[in-house]
Amino acid sequence: MRLVLAEDLYLLREGLSRLLAAHGFDVVAAVETGPELLRALIDLRPDVAVVDVRLPPTQTDEGLQAALAARREVPGLPVLVLSQHVEQLYARELLADGTGGVGYLLKDRVFAADQFVDAVRRVAAGGTAMDPEVIAKLLAGTTRAEPLQRLTPRERDVLELMGEGRSNVAIAQRLYLSESAVGKHIASIFSKLGLAPSDDDNRRVLAVLAYLNADSR
Amino acid sequence: MTTPRISRHLISVVRGLALTALAVAEALAFLLHMAAFVPGFGLGLVFLLPGPIVATRRVPNLARRLAGAWGGVDIPEPYRPAPPPPVPGPDGLYVRDRQLYKTPRVPAFMARLDWVLGDRATWRDLRWLLIDPVVGGVLAGAPAALVAAGIWYAVTGVHANWWAVPLGLLVILAGLAVAPALLWVHARWTRLMLRPLVHGPAAERRWRWVGERFIVLVRLLALAVLTLLGFPLAVLMLLVFALAVVLGLIVLFPPVVEQVRLLANLRRRLAGRWSGVEVASPYLPRPAPPDRRPDGLFQVGRHLYKSPRVVAYNQRLIWMRRDPATWRDFGWQLTDPIVGGLLLLLPLGAIGYGIWGLALPRALTLVGLKPDTGADWYGAVAGSAAAAVPVGLALAVLGVLVAPAALRWHGRWTRLLLAPTARSQLALRVQRLTETRADAVEVQAAELRRIERDLHDGAQARLVAMGLTLGAIEHLLDRDPAAARALLAEARESSAKALGELRDLVRGIHPPVLAERGLGDAIRALALDTPLPAEVRVDLPGRLPSPVESAVYFAVSEVLTNAVKHARATWVSVELRHTDELLRITVHDDGQGGADPARGSGLRGLQRRLATFDGTIEVNSPAGGPTTVILEVPCALSSPKTSTS
Repeated sequence: MRLVLAEDLYLLREGLSRLLAAHGFDVVAAVETGPELLRALIDLRPDVAVVDVRLPPTQTDEGLQAALAARREVPGLPVLVLSQHVEQLYARELLADGTGGVGYLLKDRVFAADQFVDAVRRVAAGGTAMDPEVIAKLLAGTTRAEPLQRLTPRERDVLELMGEGRSNVAIAQRLYLSESAVGKHIASIFSKLGLAPSDDDNRRVLAVLAYLNADSR
Repeated sequence: MTTPRISRHLISVVRGLALTALAVAEALAFLLHMAAFVPGFGLGLVFLLPGPIVATRRVPNLARRLAGAWGGVDIPEPYRPAPPPPVPGPDGLYVRDRQLYKTPRVPAFMARLDWVLGDRATWRDLRWLLIDPVVGGVLAGAPAALVAAGIWYAVTGVHANWWAVPLGLLVILAGLAVAPALLWVHARWTRLMLRPLVHGPAAERRWRWVGERFIVLVRLLALAVLTLLGFPLAVLMLLVFALAVVLGLIVLFPPVVEQVRLLANLRRRLAGRWSGVEVASPYLPRPAPPDRRPDGLFQVGRHLYKSPRVVAYNQRLIWMRRDPATWRDFGWQLTDPIVGGLLLLLPLGAIGYGIWGLALPRALTLVGLKPDTGADWYGAVAGSAAAAVPVGLALAVLGVLVAPAALRWHGRWTRLLLAPTARSQLALRVQRLTETRADAVEVQAAELRRIERDLHDGAQARLVAMGLTLGAIEHLLDRDPAAARALLAEARESSAKALGELRDLVRGIHPPVLAERGLGDAIRALALDTPLPAEVRVDLPGRLPSPVESAVYFAVSEVLTNAVKHARATWVSVELRHTDELLRITVHDDGQGGADPARGSGLRGLQRRLATFDGTIEVNSPAGGPTTVILEVPCALSSPKTSTS
């Protein structure tokens, strides 16, 4: 799988490059600045990109802006955004266009190599990979608190993992449940929140995230 | 031919009677208005007002219709169209007078009130309701009254005099004869009072000019009264001076100074409001009471005192004595009755003498109401009474024309002696800068201490623990790999936690989103993190200086936290706006209010931190009511940010 990496810290860039290469990705470009990243994304059309939010020259949110611009040019271009801190604001912007293939993780997550690579693969396949901290904050917002309180604790766990973009199998593994139990929980969640059920993993995750995002703010 | 004519006259008489009955209804309507106005305006129960006024519009409308039907004059309705129902903004809230409402009830009511009370036709209707029962009632009822009088006279006088019946018949005929004509006059009278009045722009200007002049004269009068009140105070002041200097009795000094300051402040405010001349307060701030010295005594200047009360008194004395503004106030108090009084006297005296001294007495004498005693100065000019009226009127007109200028000059005179001198302004500014600099330095030192503490207890401690774990792993690697593996997981978790704590620390120093996106988006992110539904409106065409952004961000953060923790609000709104080199942030929540900078230390700390940027914080938080906090910071915008997307 062809991958573009954007990270301005030398050590981290080398480390991630080696990690991803070791897991079977072909790192076609490892760039350091925002403009370079935008060019690489549009010209090379990789299967997935791993991008740091903060990049030179302005050291503001260059990486995020380049990712959004590239996705406007190439709809559905899978991008996984890494950051030292997660902001709900950025998560909303990434999810705003409603197409899948987007991820937003804390840089800490690269410590757990397997999980990280799994997230990259998920995003490359068109799914989502949202950091658990972002999901937790979204769930804590009170405009949707009332229906959310109707969920059982188990259902909340399933909802959080679903928001991170994991598949039924992955959820079942994490929570030590059977796949059919997970399926039943998901059906119950969707009916309690008033969402239309969907078999497509991507679409249902996007539906859940859109539900959590959408409010009168 | 005569029959239709007589029937026409009879019909007119009957119509006249109907209009007289309407006149009675008008009087009742007027009373109804008064009954609504007294509590409505007097007690402030404005919700009583629109209803009766709109309902009683039926009475003049009926009069208009009848004038059209019976009198042949068409009187269109002069009322402004009713206001449309309020439209919610994109956020679902209704805006009225710079305040937001959740339901349209209050804005709709206020729009209706403005519509009714602001329409000149309402007040003209009221005037008509007062006058018409008299004028219109007489006009309409005269024919019927004549007829009735004629009948009564004929009936009662038929036995006494032979001419009663013919005279009575004559009166009846007279009544019948004039009926249509009076009806015609009544209709024209109604049209005069009730038609829509469209003032040309010239007429508007004239009325406004008259209204303004009137207000100016009232203000001059009020100032004259105040100046008169200054007389006894000036005398008292001189007396106290004499006592202090001659007998050494200074005990009355502070109270007199306070009174003079009170009056002077009032005059400063009035000069600002009425003359348009802003006069700032020049007084030095009260000194803080001294602390006890180690030997238990208090020190004020070079004196030592035992009791704090005497200390307070002496401090007050010295504070007043040292302030040059006190002495300038005294000078003003002595000279104002002369100079200021003269300025006021010019227009008022011209008008007063012109009308009451010259024109009116002469006019009354001419008309014969006043005996011409030949008094040579009152009602006469230079010995001759002929020119009194024109000269008097000319004087009055002159006075009216000069009045606004006199008011302005009076304000300038007030500013001359009562405004702070350049030196005292400088001294005040230096004092303020000293205070805010001390605050800024203290805040920064406290911040650094906090960072040091958080690093020491948090991240540093964790890194130390991680080092220990790694050492243990190194030790166990050969001997017990399974335990080593478990410890490795622990080390990884420690590092993740350390990262988390550093993240929180960084957010407390300078939030990354503030550096990356600027104040607007940072506040939006803050709003997203608030547990309450929050709504943010941003109107910032550029970026602000970084320290201002930081201070404002933390200030808004604290205000939002207060809204969540103490106010128990259900929603909160934040608005950022930058106009005229001033950044203004308005935070509004619908909680239980009661926030008071004097009580809580949080708001007081915010005030001090914003004061280092010359910013202010205004808290409007009645107990039980919604809270609005307004932060204002003067600052310039840098060039508008160029979008990278």
